Amino acid sequence: MASFVPTSADTLEDQRLYTSARLVEVACLDCLAKVGVKKNSEHHTSIQWTAEARRHCPELSRRTGARDTFPACPRMIASIEAAVRDGQIPIGAEDGY
Amino acid sequence: MSDTKVRALDQGTAPERFARGWHCLGLAERFRDGKPHGIEAFGTKLVVWADTQGEIHVLDGYCRHMGGDLTQGEVKGDEVACPFHDWRWGGDGKCKQIPYARRVPLRARTQRYPVAIRNQQVLVWHDVEGSEPDMDILPPELPGIEEGLYTDWVWESEHIIGSNCRELIDNVVDMAHFYYVHFAFPTSFRNVFEGTQATQFMESKGRPDKTGGYGDAELFLKSEATYYGPSYMINWLDTDYKGFNTEVILFNNHIPTGQDSFLLQYGIIVKKPEGLDDKTANFIAKKYAQMFGEGFLQDVHIWKNKVPVQNPLLCEEDGPVYQLRRWYEQYYVDRADIVPEMVDRFEFEVDTTKANEFWQDEVAENLRKKAEEDAAGESSADEPAEKPQMMSGT
Ligand code: FES
Ligand SMILES: [Fe+2]
Repeated sequence: MASFVPTSADTLEDQRLYTSARLVEVACLDCLAKVGVKKNSEHHTSIQWTAEARRHCPELSRRTGARDTFPACPRMIASIEAAVRDGQIPIGAEDGY
Repeated sequence: MSDTKVRALDQGTAPERFARGWHCLGLAERFRDGKPHGIEAFGTKLVVWADTQGEIHVLDGYCRHMGGDLTQGEVKGDEVACPFHDWRWGGDGKCKQIPYARRVPLRARTQRYPVAIRNQQVLVWHDVEGSEPDMDILPPELPGIEEGLYTDWVWESEHIIGSNCRELIDNVVDMAHFYYVHFAFPTSFRNVFEGTQATQFMESKGRPDKTGGYGDAELFLKSEATYYGPSYMINWLDTDYKGFNTEVILFNNHIPTGQDSFLLQYGIIVKKPEGLDDKTANFIAKKYAQMFGEGFLQDVHIWKNKVPVQNPLLCEEDGPVYQLRRWYEQYYVDRADIVPEMVDRFEFEVDTTKANEFWQDEVAENLRKKAEEDAAGESSADEPAEKPQMMSGT
């Protein structure tokens, strides 16, 4: 049962490029969570969590209110910044993705 | 393969179903006038009425007897009565009585839409799979509304013809359109999607080269807009205008009426500022409603003239369109077909630095030209007035 159906196979490749290409695994320095990270520039960050990683994060698990689940986990952000300083995450986009 | 290959636009095909989830039909009070109301939704028409206890019920609008239009009938007791032959339908979807008949056929059951009241609004559950309503994913009930801490509602609706409602959803991630379409200046922009929620955080200021109306360069806006499910967004807006802070809540929601049309509705309430009388506070709410109303029209104009795109071509400064659509897809597949990527947490920080540098320059250049024209005596009296300078969520 489909919703918005692409009519070209290239679209599927675009979906892959934009959503999952070039994600680098970053492990949290404080908990067992591992996420996929991409940085197209210094100020850009894309963070893909999994259900498992989400369960591991004590910071996000603690939040339950209507508005408080949105801010990022500060420990994960710090871990990503550390990985960037270590040169583990290449910075720069490839043709927009 | 040459790198000069022309990029194709994949327009795709529209979905065959309407989203699963809670959809808002409007303020509850409006349906408590003892009459049946008709609301177009999900490719049909719904009938909405309140029973003798004030409880609201929603059924498919067409009578299962001979297809009479229940929305043109009457409320009799707790039931809605068909104008054609007076069959009486109850809120549970069963025909309760046929006054001229010995008995009611056992099969006299129609489509009912489970109802929940949230923030004084009527929400109905829609699912082509016919599932029980999921009460866990209802939008939150906001404190202070019942207690009278906010102004009266300003509630508006607009039927948009010629666009699928996904165009409206796309705005959650569309950083740059706020500058070009809404004349706002996003300085910070972030998205988080998780489970059934999709959020946009934005900080923006007004464009000084587009003065008039409510906002200008002195208007700062902090906005947090979350979709709870496929169609119900709550947008918390903290505005600072020359040091005067206002807390606005915009409820932005829609009901698909066809694959190429939807009813856009928005309600606005403003936290009554201390030391201001109700009348002034209500006036402020009206002004905001007017501004957002104009803002939506700016979007609508774009939607009406654009084509659908399944393969948007993005640049580095764009938001996560593909991930947002992946999230939105969960409402259009069977529950059993929801895959983890659709609901897993995803965070995205848009880099607004390059855009802001460029926009600062462009605005400065526009202001310079305008000053020149003014000096040359070319009146700018024909400038369009009242253009919204802040728009959020959408
Ligand atoms: S069609 Fe409704 S009562 Fe006959
Ligand atoms: Fe918009």
